[in-house]
Amino acid sequence: MFLRILRKSLSKRKSRIAIAVISVIMGAAIATALLSVSLDVSEKVGYEFRKYGANLIVVPKSDTIEVGFPGVDFGSVTEQRYINESDLWKIKTIFWRNNVLGFAPILYQVVSVGENQYEQNVVLAGTYFNKDVEIIEPYSLDDPSIFNTGIQKISPWWKVNGNWIEDQNDTTSSMVGIKVAEKLNLEIGNIFTIKYYENYEGLINETIYNLTVKGIIETDGNEDNQIFVNLQVAQDLTSRMDKVHLIQVSALCNACPVDTFAEEIEGKIPYAEARTVKQLVNAEMNILGKIEDMMFLVTIVALLASALGVMTTMTTSVIERQKEIGLMKSVGAEDKKIAFLFLSEASIIGAIGGLVGYIVGTVLAQFIGLSVFDTSITPRVEIIPIALGISVGIALLASSLPVRRATKVEPAIVLRGE
Amino acid sequence: MTKEIIRLTNLTKLYDKDTRPINNVTVSMIKGAWTSIMGPSGSGKTTLLNLIGCLDSPTKGTIHINGTEITKLNRDQLTRFRRENIGLIFQQYHLVPYLTALENVLMAQYYHSIVDESEAIDALKRVGLGHRLKHVPAHLSGGEQQRVCIARALINEPEILLADEPTGNLDQKNGEVVLKLIKKLREEGHTIILVTHNPDIGRLGDRLIELIDGKISSDTAINIKM
Repeated sequence: MFLRILRKSLSKRKSRIAIAVISVIMGAAIATALLSVSLDVSEKVGYEFRKYGANLIVVPKSDTIEVGFPGVDFGSVTEQRYINESDLWKIKTIFWRNNVLGFAPILYQVVSVGENQYEQNVVLAGTYFNKDVEIIEPYSLDDPSIFNTGIQKISPWWKVNGNWIEDQNDTTSSMVGIKVAEKLNLEIGNIFTIKYYENYEGLINETIYNLTVKGIIETDGNEDNQIFVNLQVAQDLTSRMDKVHLIQVSALCNACPVDTFAEEIEGKIPYAEARTVKQLVNAEMNILGKIEDMMFLVTIVALLASALGVMTTMTTSVIERQKEIGLMKSVGAEDKKIAFLFLSEASIIGAIGGLVGYIVGTVLAQFIGLSVFDTSITPRVEIIPIALGISVGIALLASSLPVRRATKVEPAIVLRGE
Repeated sequence: MTKEIIRLTNLTKLYDKDTRPINNVTVSMIKGAWTSIMGPSGSGKTTLLNLIGCLDSPTKGTIHINGTEITKLNRDQLTRFRRENIGLIFQQYHLVPYLTALENVLMAQYYHSIVDESEAIDALKRVGLGHRLKHVPAHLSGGEQQRVCIARALINEPEILLADEPTGNLDQKNGEVVLKLIKKLREEGHTIILVTHNPDIGRLGDRLIELIDGKISSDTAINIKM
C-alpha cells in the first residue's frame, strides 16, 4: 500500500516532481562532470606540462658540468663522470614506470666548426631522437619490452624548421640550434664539418665528421647554441662508448610525488642522482591544486542550488498536501510514517536525478575535456554510486526542513470543517 | 446495564486569554449510544469532538476513553490510541484525491495494521459502494464520497465513531442515505458522537447535548438505552 501511495502521489504531481528532479540533475551533472574532469585533469594537465620539457634530470653523483638546461645551473666541471647508456632502461623499471613518459640521454662535447680563422667552438649534444630502448628486465611481465623515447618525445614544444632525425642509426644528420645556424650560415640540407681535438699524452688527435643539417631548432634556450646528433655520433667522436652526461626525464607526477620518483631512479642507478626541476613541478602542483579547488567550489555551489530547488519543491508540496497529511495522521499515521513517505519521495527524486545527472555529467565532461584539454575524458562507472549518493543525500538533506514541517501539521486545524 | 465509555472532567480548551471554545465541561457518554452535539457556530462543538478524537489536547481537565486517561498520552500515543478506538467522519470527507475509493479505505487499514483488500471491499459494500471501488473521489458524488469516508472510518472496527456534520455538504437524499447508515452502525453497537446544526438530525440520537460558549447549556436524554 505504501508503494501505491508513493507511486500515485509522485505521478499526480509530475510537473512539480520534474522541477525537483531537474534541480538534482543539474547538481549531479555538474558534480559528475567536474569529478570526472578532476580525476582526469591531473593527468591531462600533467601531459600539458610535459610538453614544456623534462621535469627530472639525472646526473652522475658529484658530477657538475657547465652545460645548461632550462632553469638548472650545473656549475663547473670538477671531475668528469658519466652515466652508462646501458643503464638507461632501468628508469623504465621503477614502480611508477608508467608515469615515465620519456627520457633522453645527453652527451655533450665542445667541437670546432668552420675553417681556419672562422673556426668556432660549439657544443655538440648527442642524444636519442626516436629510439627504441630495450627494457632488459621489465618490472612486470605485462610491461612491454621496448620503450620508444627520445628528445622529440620529451620536448615536443621545440620549434623545428625542417625535420627531426627519425632514424636512430643515422650518423650523418644533425639538428642545429638557430643561433649556430645563423653564425655559420647554415641552411637545411647544407653539409658542414665538425672537428674534435683530443689531447692524448701531448699528442693532438683530430677527428672529423661531416654532418648534414636536417632541421634547425628554435627554443629560446641553450639548445639554440647547440648542435644535436644521434648519441652514437657523439660517443664515436669522443671515444666515450656507452657514456652519457645526463638524462632528461619527463615524468607525469599527478598521483606520485616527484621526489619519490627521483628516489626510485637513484635506487635503480645507484651512482646517479636525480634532481627535480623544482620550478616546473611547483607550478604544476600549484595549478593542479587551484583547478581542483575551483572545481570543488563550483560543485558545492551547484549542489547548494540543487538543494534549494528540492527544498522549494518539497516545501510547496508539504503546504499543498497539508490536508492529506492531516488526514493520514487522523487515520493513524504517526509522525515517523509521514516523514518516511516524504523522505521516500525525496530519495526517488534524488535517485532519478542522480542517475540522469550522471549521464548528463559524463557528456558534459566530454565537452569540457574536448574544449579545454583537447582530449576526451574517460567515463568512470565508479562515479555512479558517488553521484547517486550525493544526489540522494542532497535531496534528503534539502527535505529535512519541509519534512519537519509535515510532521508538525495539526490534523485538527487542517481538517477543520469550514 | 449502561457502561461509561467516555468521561470528560472539568475540560477546558483555551486558544488565548479571551477565547475559550470549551469551558469547564464535565460529561460522560455511554457505550453504544448516539450522542448528538448541537449549538450555534463557535459554541465549541467541533473543538469538543477534536478533543474526544485525540486530534487536539485540552488546556485543563481530563478525558477518559475506555478507561484510558488520554490526556496523559503523548502525540504518537494519541495517534495510536485514535487508530485503535476511533473512526472519524468529516463534513468534507477528506479523501485523498489521487487514490481510488478502495485505496482510500486501504490507506486507513495500512496505517492501522495489515492491508487486507477483501476487508476493504467488504467495508465499501457495507456502505453500498461495491460497484465504485476503482473510482477516484472526483468521479464520485458527494454522498458517495461521504460513504467512502464512513467505510474508511469503519475499516479498523473502532468502537467510537465521531461524525462532524456528516450530512452538511449533502443534498437531502444523500443525507438520508448517510443517516440511515449511521443509525445502522449505532444498532450494530458503535458509540456515535455526531455534531450537527440540524435539530432534526440531532434528535435522531439517544441523547442531545447543546453547547453555548463552550459550556453545556442543555443535556437531553431522547432514547437512552438502559
